[in-house]
Amino acid sequence: MKIDKILVSVFQRRFKSITEEMSIVLEKTTRSPILCEAKDFVTGLYDGKGKMLEQTENLPILSFSLGPVCEYIVRYFGDDIHPGDVIFHNDVFSMGNQNNDVAVYKPIFYDDKLIAWSASKGHQADVGGAVAGGYNPRATEVWQETLRIPPIKVYEGGKLRNDVWDLIFANIRFDIVAADMRAQIGSCVVGERGVLKLIEKYGLKVFESHKEYLFDSTEKMMRAEIKTIPNGIYRGESTVYYDGRTPGSKYKIRVKITVEDEEITFDYSDTDPQTDGFVNGTYTSSASATLLTFLQMVNPDMPHNDGMVRPVKIIVPEGTILNAKYPAATTFGNHLCPPNADAIIRALSQAIPKRVTAGWDQLLCYLTSGYDPRKKDSYVDIGFLGLKGGSGATHGVDGYDHIGMIDASGGVLDQDYEMFEQQTPHLLLHHEYWTDSAGAGQWRGGLGVETKFKIGGEKTKVVTFGDGDEEAPFGLFDGKRATLNKIELQYPDGKVYKATSKDLVEDVLEGTILFQQAGGGGGYGNPYLRHPAQVGQEVQNGIISVKKAKEHYGIVIDPETFEVDLKETEKLRKKKK
Amino acid sequence: MSSANSRSQPDYKKTEITMEYKIGIDVGGTFTDFLLTSKDGSSEIFKVLSTPDDPSIGLMEGLAEMAEARNISLKEFIKDIETIVHGTTVTTNAVLTRRGAKTGLLTTKGLRDALEMRRGIREEQYNNRYTNVEPLIPRYLRFPVEERLDYKGDIVTPLKEKDVLDAAKLFKKEGIEAIAICFMNSFANDTHESVAEKIIKEEFGLELGESSQEFDKSGKEPHESSDGHDKSSPYITVSSSFFPSIRFYDRISTTVLNSYVGPILKRYIKSLIKKLIDVGFKGVLLIMQSNGGVVSPQIAMDKAAVTLLSGPAAGPVAGIEYTSVQGYEDCLTIDMGGTSFDAALIKNKTPLVTTEGEINRLRIALPMLGIVTIGAGGGSIGWVDEGGLLRMGPQSAGSKPGPACYDLGGELPTCTDADLVLCYLDKDFFAGGKIPLNYERAERAIKEKIADPLGMDVVEAAAGMYRVINVNMASGVREVSVKRGHDPREFPLVVAGGAGPVHACMIALELEIPVMVIPKESSIFCAAGMLMSDLKHDFIRTYSTSLNKLDKKKFRSLFNEMRKEATELLESENIPEGSIKHIYSLDMRYVKQYHEVNVEMTKDEMERGNIESVVSKFHPEHNRLYGYSLEEVGTPIELINLRLTSIGKTTKPKFKKEEYDELDPSKALKKKRKVYLPLMQAFEEVPVYDGYKLRYGNRVEGPALIEQVNTTTFVTPEYNILCDKYGSYTMYLKTKEKEIKKKVVGA
Repeated sequence: MKIDKILVSVFQRRFKSITEEMSIVLEKTTRSPILCEAKDFVTGLYDGKGKMLEQTENLPILSFSLGPVCEYIVRYFGDDIHPGDVIFHNDVFSMGNQNNDVAVYKPIFYDDKLIAWSASKGHQADVGGAVAGGYNPRATEVWQETLRIPPIKVYEGGKLRNDVWDLIFANIRFDIVAADMRAQIGSCVVGERGVLKLIEKYGLKVFESHKEYLFDSTEKMMRAEIKTIPNGIYRGESTVYYDGRTPGSKYKIRVKITVEDEEITFDYSDTDPQTDGFVNGTYTSSASATLLTFLQMVNPDMPHNDGMVRPVKIIVPEGTILNAKYPAATTFGNHLCPPNADAIIRALSQAIPKRVTAGWDQLLCYLTSGYDPRKKDSYVDIGFLGLKGGSGATHGVDGYDHIGMIDASGGVLDQDYEMFEQQTPHLLLHHEYWTDSAGAGQWRGGLGVETKFKIGGEKTKVVTFGDGDEEAPFGLFDGKRATLNKIELQYPDGKVYKATSKDLVEDVLEGTILFQQAGGGGGYGNPYLRHPAQVGQEVQNGIISVKKAKEHYGIVIDPETFEVDLKETEKLRKKKK
Repeated sequence: MSSANSRSQPDYKKTEITMEYKIGIDVGGTFTDFLLTSKDGSSEIFKVLSTPDDPSIGLMEGLAEMAEARNISLKEFIKDIETIVHGTTVTTNAVLTRRGAKTGLLTTKGLRDALEMRRGIREEQYNNRYTNVEPLIPRYLRFPVEERLDYKGDIVTPLKEKDVLDAAKLFKKEGIEAIAICFMNSFANDTHESVAEKIIKEEFGLELGESSQEFDKSGKEPHESSDGHDKSSPYITVSSSFFPSIRFYDRISTTVLNSYVGPILKRYIKSLIKKLIDVGFKGVLLIMQSNGGVVSPQIAMDKAAVTLLSGPAAGPVAGIEYTSVQGYEDCLTIDMGGTSFDAALIKNKTPLVTTEGEINRLRIALPMLGIVTIGAGGGSIGWVDEGGLLRMGPQSAGSKPGPACYDLGGELPTCTDADLVLCYLDKDFFAGGKIPLNYERAERAIKEKIADPLGMDVVEAAAGMYRVINVNMASGVREVSVKRGHDPREFPLVVAGGAGPVHACMIALELEIPVMVIPKESSIFCAAGMLMSDLKHDFIRTYSTSLNKLDKKKFRSLFNEMRKEATELLESENIPEGSIKHIYSLDMRYVKQYHEVNVEMTKDEMERGNIESVVSKFHPEHNRLYGYSLEEVGTPIELINLRLTSIGKTTKPKFKKEEYDELDPSKALKKKRKVYLPLMQAFEEVPVYDGYKLRYGNRVEGPALIEQVNTTTFVTPEYNILCDKYGSYTMYLKTKEKEIKKKVVGA
C-alpha cells in the first residue's frame, strides 16, 4: 500500500491527543492524592499485538511499563479476547513493574477484529497486603505486599463480573481505590472511542500500514540519535544503601553500555544479587528507569512509540537486585531508578560528556497517616513538597531547583500549602530553598528544599522510603557534590529521632515536628569558572552563603552590600588554581 | 491604510450632522485594528501599523485616519465619538518581555519561595536544558514577615509589625514601584494583610483609605512628577481583597502579577486618556478584560491583571453575535492570525470560562475565557524532523523576515508560502495588492526545505504543509471541545483572522463540522467583539465545608457581601442597579477529590441556601465531564468556593441589515483561477468572487474562492456558501442545503 507520509504525521498527532484526553479523565476525577495531585499514572494506546502507539507519561518511571504487560495479556488470553472485555493487572511476576501500579486494559475491536488496546495504569492508594499503602519494609515475599492480580477479566463481553470485582475489593482497604479504578476504566473508554473514530475515517488497512511506517520512522530517529554517540563499551556503577533489614547493607548496580553504530545495549549482568527484603526491582521497573534516563540524553521531541525502543537492548538477569526472582518482595523497585540512573550517567559521561547531567538528588520520601479529629476521618498524605531536591547540572545549564528525583523529573507537583492544611491536621512551618544545598560548579546543581511542619491529629504513623542519606549526588568534571537527604522527628520533649531511609514510626505525638532536607543536585565543571556577578546575585538572594561563595567558588563578597570584591576574588582564584 | 467596505459605505455628509460613533480598537502584534460603527448601522474597517513602544501612538493615528477619511479635523471627529472600547496588550507584553514594574513581596515567613518554585514543576520532563521561569520578584525582594493564621483563619502567630517596617525600608531603598501582600490562609481572615497594608501606606506617606491607584479625569495625581511616574506611592495589591481564594500558590502568583503590571497599565491608560481629552474626547472609554467583559479605566488600573491575555477575549463575544442572528445558541470560534491560532467554545451564548490560566508559565487564577492558543498561523514554518516526518510550527517567521514570498529576506517555507503555491492566495491581490507576493521564492523555499528531503514535488509538499497545519489547528479545536466533554460537530464554527477562511473548510472536514460562519469583519473579529461586550466583574469567596454542615447564614452573607461590592463597582461605572445581572455559582467536589466542578445556581437557590437542588445539578455535570458520577454510591460533596459574576449591560451598535437579493451570485464574479483541491489532489479552475459585491441570499457553490482586501475564503467542493443579511457567509456541507437555507433566508 502507498504510504501517505503526511497522514503518518496526522496519526501520530492524533494518537497523542487521544492519550492526553485519557489522561485528563484521571487527573480530574481520581481521589487518591497520588493520582490527582502527583499524577502518578500513565495512559496509552497499543496495537493489536500490544506494541506501543503512543502514551502520555506524567511520571516517566511508569512510562514503559504498560507495553510489556499488554503483550503478555495478548499471549495469555490468546483468542479468548472479546469486545467489551476489561482486564485488570498488577502482578510483577507477569511483567508488572510495581504491585501498587494497577493497570486496566480494554481491547478495541473493529469489524470483529482485535486491532488495538487502550490502557491506563495508576499507583493505587492500597493493594491489600500486610500494611496499608503497600510500602512494607518488613516484607520478604510478595504476598506480604499485595493482592496479586495476574491478568483478570473484570468485565466480560461488556458485563461487569460482580464476583470478581467483589473478590478484588474485598482484599483492598480503602473505598477510594474502587472509585479510582472506575476512573481508570472511564479513561480507557475515552481512548477506545478515539481510536475507533480514527479507523472509521481512514479504514483499517490505511491505519495498519501507516502505523508500521510511523514505528519505522521513529526507529530511524532513534537510530540517528544513537549514531551520534561514539562506538565503544562504557561502564558505570552506583550503590544502593540499606535494604530495610540489615543496617549498613550496600548493593552495587553495574551497567555495561555497548554502543555499536545505531544500536545501544544496557547490560546489568554484573549487578549484585537481590536482597531478602523489599528493596528489589522487577525487569519492567528497571528497564523503564534505563529508558527514561537515556531519553534525557537524546532529542526530547521524539514521539514515544514502539519504534523508539527497537534499537535499545536491555539485559537484566533474573536474581539481581534489579530483577528479583519469584516470590521476592519488590515494592521498592521503582525507587531503584535514581541509583540506576547514576550508573548510566557515570558510564555515558565518558562518551557524551556534554549531554549528561551530574547526579540528581535521590528520592527520600515520608508518608504520614492517622486520624484527623477535625473531620472525624482518617487521612493519608505523601510528602511531595518535601521530597523534591535539585537536578544535576549539565554543560551550559544549571540544574533545575526542586524538581526531585530523576524518575519524576519535575512531573510531580507539590501539594498546595493551603490545601495541605485543609486535608491534613498538620501546620506547615517552613518550605523554602535550602541554602548551599546545590553542588558547586561552573554550572551549579539545582537547589534542594527544607521542609518543617508540626504534626497534628491522632494515631499518627510516619513511613519513610528512599535513599540518598549516605551518599550525596555527585559532581562532574570538577563540579562539586551536593548535600545529603535527611528526615528527622523532633519530639515535643526535645528528643530528636533521625529516621532511616526505610522506616516506620508509629504513634507519633501531636506537636512533633517533622523536619526534612531534600538535597541539591551535583555541579558540572570547575566552580572557579563561574561568573562572579552571578554568584554575587545568588548570595544576595540567600541561596549561596558568603562563606561557601569563598570556599567553593573562590569569590569574595561583602556581606552587607553583596558586592563582589573583584581584586580579592582574582587573588584567591589564582592562589587556589 | 484604510479599507472602507463598499457594501456598507456610510454617507459622510449625513454623518457630520447626526452621527455618533462607537469604535472597537484591537492592538495586535503587527496591526492595530479598528471597527468604526455609526448610528445608522454602517461599519468600516481601519488598520494601522502597531507602535509597540507606545501603543497609543498607533491608536491616535488610526483615529486621525478616520477623521481624514471624512475630510474633517480630528477634533471635530472626536467629539462625535460616543464610546471607545480598547483591547490592550501592554500588560501581556510586560510579562512576556519582562518589563513590568520593580515589585516587592510581603509574605509569610518560611514560605517565601512558593512564587518561584511554582509547585516544583518542570514542564518538559525529558529536557535537561529546560530552565525554570525567572520569578517576577527576585528572592531578596520577597520579604518574610512573622505571622501565621491556621486553616480556618484563626491567629496562630500574631503579625510582627517590625518586619513590615523593615520591608518598607528595604523597598524604599530599592526604589520599588509596586508591592504585593500575600499571607498564608488570608482567604479566611484578612486582618494581618490589612494591618500590613496600613503600615506600608503610612511608611510611604499615603493617607489612610486613599487608594494608591487614585485617579481623576484630568489624568493627574496629587503628588505626581512631570513624567507621570511617582516612586513615592507604590502600587499595592493585597491578596485578601484582590483575590480571596484558597490555594496559596495560585493566589500569590495572581496577586504578584497584578502588582507587576499595575504601574504599567496605569501609566498607559493615564497617558491615553490625556491624549484623548486633549483632542476633545467626551465619550466613554472602556477596556477589554480576559473574562470577555469590559471595564472602566479606573477599575482596570486597580485590577490590572484582568487585562492579561485579554487579546483574543473579544472573539467569543463576536462569535455569539454572528451566530445568534441565525438562531444558534452555541458555537466554536477560531481566529488564525500571523503567528497564533485561538480557539474558543460557546455554550448557551456563554463563552467557556477557565480558572486554570497561565501566562508564560506563571499561574493566573482569575476567571478568564477558556481560549486555547497554539502556534499556528500564516507565518508558521514548515520543517522535516530527524525521522523524516513533516512538522509545522510552532516557530513563526513573524512579519520580519516573514514568509519567503514576502521577499523580505525570509528563506524558510511558511504556511503562507504553501497557500500561495496552492493558489489559494493571489500573488497580485494580497492585502488588496499592497503586498506583492513572490511565487518563485515560495516555491524555492518549499522545494529546498520540504519537497527534496521528503522526495516529493513542490505541490505535494505544499499540500502536505497545508494539511499538517490544518490538523494542528483541528487539535486546538479538539482541546476546547472534546477535552471538555463537547462534541464539535454540534457547533457551528465561526472563522476569523486573515488566514482563517483559507483553512476553514479543511479544519471543519477534519472535525466533521458541517456548518461554518465567516463574519463580514472576519479580519478584525476582536475589534468587532469589543463593541459587543458588556461590563463584567468576577468575585470569589472561599468557604471550605462539607455540604451537610453548611451554615446557611454564612453562605448567604458571603454572597451578599460580594453582591454589594459588585453593585457599588458597577454603579461607579454608571450602570443603574436595574441593568445589572448577577450570576451565582459554586465550586464543589466529591470529598477527597482535588479538582472542583463549577455549578451555576439561581438567585432563588442562593437566597434560600437551597443546596439540595444545586447538588442535583452537580452529579450530572460530573458525569458529563468525566464519564461517571458517584451519586448512587452516596459519596458526600464538599463546597470550596462561592463565585459571583456581575454583568452591566452596555448599549451595543446596531448593524445594518441588507435587502434580499437573489440566489445567483454571478454579479460578483471576478474571474476564474486554478486552485489546488486537497481531497482530489489536483488543480482545477474555480470561479473567484469579489466579496464586496456579494449580497444577502447569494449562494456560492464550492469549489470557489471569495476575495476581500484582508482575507480570502476558500470554499472546497464539499461546501457551499450562503450570504446572510448582515453580510456574513454561512458555509455548509452541500447535504445540509435545505436546513441552512431555512436558517439564513427563512425559506
